[in-house]
Amino acid sequence: MHEHPVRLVIGGDLRRYRPTVFFRLLLAIPHFIWISLWSIGMVFVVVVNWFVTLLSGTPSKTMHGWTSAYVRYTLHLNAYVYLVGNPYPGFMGEEGEYPIDLRLPERASQSRSKTFFRIFLAVPALMLASALGGGFAAGYTSRNGRSKFAGLSGRGALATTCAFFGWFACMAKGEMPKGLRDASAYSIGYGAQTLAYLLLVTDRYPDSDPTAMLDGVDRPPEHPVRVVGDADDLRLSRVTVFFRLPLAIPHIVWLVLWSVATLVAVVVNWFVMLFRGTPAESLHRFVSRYVRYQLHVSAFLYLVANPFPGFDGAPGRYPLDLELPQPMRQNRWKTFFRFFLAIPALVVGSALSYGLIVTAFLTWFVGLARGEAPWGFRNFAAYALRYAAQTNAYLYLLTEVYPHASPLEGAPTPQHEFVEAAAA
Amino acid sequence: MTRRLPLVALAAAAWAVAALYLWNTSVVPSSLRLPHVDSHRFFTAAQLHAASSYSSVGVWLWVGGTIVQLVVLAVYARRGERFTRDSAAGPMGTGMLLGMIGFALVWLAQVPFTVLELWWERRQHLTHDGYAATVFGGWFGLGGAFVFLCVALAVVMGFARLVGERWWLPAAPIFVGLALLFAFIDPWLVGGHALHDARLRSAATRFERLEGVSRTPIVVESVHQTTTLPNAEAAGMGPSRRVILWDTLVDGRFTERELDVVVAHELGHLARHHIWKDVGWYALFAFPGAWAIARATRTRGGMARPRAVPLGLLVLVVLNLLALPLQNAISGTWRQRPTGWRFARRTIRAARSRSSAVSCRRRSTSRTRRRSTTSCSRTIPRSSSGSGWRRRGAPPSDVRVILEAWKLRQARTADLAPASGGASPPP
Repeated sequence: MHEHPVRLVIGGDLRRYRPTVFFRLLLAIPHFIWISLWSIGMVFVVVVNWFVTLLSGTPSKTMHGWTSAYVRYTLHLNAYVYLVGNPYPGFMGEEGEYPIDLRLPERASQSRSKTFFRIFLAVPALMLASALGGGFAAGYTSRNGRSKFAGLSGRGALATTCAFFGWFACMAKGEMPKGLRDASAYSIGYGAQTLAYLLLVTDRYPDSDPTAMLDGVDRPPEHPVRVVGDADDLRLSRVTVFFRLPLAIPHIVWLVLWSVATLVAVVVNWFVMLFRGTPAESLHRFVSRYVRYQLHVSAFLYLVANPFPGFDGAPGRYPLDLELPQPMRQNRWKTFFRFFLAIPALVVGSALSYGLIVTAFLTWFVGLARGEAPWGFRNFAAYALRYAAQTNAYLYLLTEVYPHASPLEGAPTPQHEFVEAAAA
Repeated sequence: MTRRLPLVALAAAAWAVAALYLWNTSVVPSSLRLPHVDSHRFFTAAQLHAASSYSSVGVWLWVGGTIVQLVVLAVYARRGERFTRDSAAGPMGTGMLLGMIGFALVWLAQVPFTVLELWWERRQHLTHDGYAATVFGGWFGLGGAFVFLCVALAVVMGFARLVGERWWLPAAPIFVGLALLFAFIDPWLVGGHALHDARLRSAATRFERLEGVSRTPIVVESVHQTTTLPNAEAAGMGPSRRVILWDTLVDGRFTERELDVVVAHELGHLARHHIWKDVGWYALFAFPGAWAIARATRTRGGMARPRAVPLGLLVLVVLNLLALPLQNAISGTWRQRPTGWRFARRTIRAARSRSSAVSCRRRSTSRTRRRSTTSCSRTIPRSSSGSGWRRRGAPPSDVRVILEAWKLRQARTADLAPASGGASPPP
């Protein structure tokens, strides 16, 4: 697959200056005012540019430059607000002035048909971008029949959630957690690609593949809970896609029944671990199967994988499978407070689930039409499922390693480095 | 085979005796004489013609839907095996998948008939349901059906793997047990609220005493948002037994006596143990049916193998179709004669003196009396729950014509004066 012409460049480090973090939203107010004015101007520019592109097949050079600067500026601002970047951004959206930057394509000819229908074609990408975040909307709302200025509003569950928890982490440690930074960067990167597509900077559709988006970013340490499978298997059976939700209902019923037993097992295991420091092996196995089964059912339901899963959560049977750690000694304090410690991960997971639902909804149509899942959507959904599985494994005491929010796969590292990284 | 012959003969004899018993215990006592109903005395020829044509469209839709269903299942029985490659669920899970896909394809093929039927009913103002809601509701509703199907296939395939071809011997009693269970819990699934009409409640208490089914709750189910048709049903067994009245029946359109008849009719079902007998009939069909499926799927390696499931579905549907005349005969018998015997004697006697409300068998010229015609003929028992053998069949022919005519007229006049009870003066 060709590289996307709109490329996210992530520079800088994870250190954050606490005073600017604390006042981040207030400090961004001038930018909010500026972007709202710029957005109003851009409406006219884009409409004119749309006609120009339709007539000549190529956007106007001047207007392409303005639009590119606008798209880049929104990325800089989003990076600042969502704590992806540390320095205060400039107001002109110039290339290379901010560590979190965007490489945009030169003016090039574009398909007239794609240009004509651009606003409709962009709808699926806008849906996902809204779920992920990284966009700002300026506009009016109508209340009691009167139009009223609503101001700027940040959108997107994932970026907002990561920024929220990142803010506390930055205040505490002076450093943005890598997982949250990567997730936010991915979100705003996808938002920038969508904006570039919508505003005629490129006619290449946004790519939601996290690996492609964060190309060049360091991979996180390998997590003991890993999703494994054939990455190239995108095939979907049209019949089972059409009936996917009803077909999943028996699994959902079974999952609910199983979760009751799992809840009991986890509580018992919690006591066992508090006393012994290690989980009961049989309970660990039982819960492992449950977590793996959850992944299988979710992969089937959300169209990440094609086959109908088994009901037993057995390893090695499903194309998208879960590797789980063997029972091992865990820190008693972490065990004791496990539920409370898991809350941020659960919130991030629920934010990711919005995107997951959107991609599943869109994949349903694509799957029916083409008989295969779109690469980008599938990979995003796999990321969301991986995070959910890591969160479940953490919550259900299968591991004490915290879920890693980075969309990137963990890189194998020597055990001592891994432990250090996890502890960090 | 020769050694098995006495056993088979014994089983057949037991089946016949049980069937005879069930049939005979549903027959009306000879002392009860039902008056003849001449629909022409109640409705104009045009109304009856309209009713007949309304009914005939329904019949054609049913025929078309059934043919399509059989064709789809036949094709699926032949080619459905290919879906095994879309499963990673092992033999039993794959069998469940194949069963669900078969059901889903049948549903898909019948969508045009469903839409046509809905169009036809909407044209007659018999339902408020929208097309999208019906189609999407059906799509979502498949999920519930799939759960039951998976349980059924788990039982069948589980036993087939355990005991081979004779899976039907242990499986059939389990299905009968499940049928009993659903018949038992059905009223609780329906829900509804208690009957507020104090007069009807006290009348019901009187009928309950008469029929020996004291303390039977009378509940009202809210259906007015989807239909204007009145109906009532007897459901449950033992502690769950109750009479369920649709709220369209107690919305003021019917006279007290008409409602009395309906309630007594439903209590008659309970007093005659029709729900138990319905399960009994089901049991009688379950054993030979399961055996026939086991025999038919031998060519595919038996029901232990997923590839036999599509063929099993086809056989099941064909068997159901073959059993339909008998099922209709049974339900027709019950529907015709469920009203509590003691109460029935009274009401029929009263009908003869033109003072009571067995209005489907009665001459009448008053508005309310004519409306109640349907209330009686529509009181079709729903003797069990959604396990696939819920029956809301058509009334016997003469009553059916009256019903259809009433439905048409009621629907046409409901828009004019729905609150005041709507029906126009009789011709």
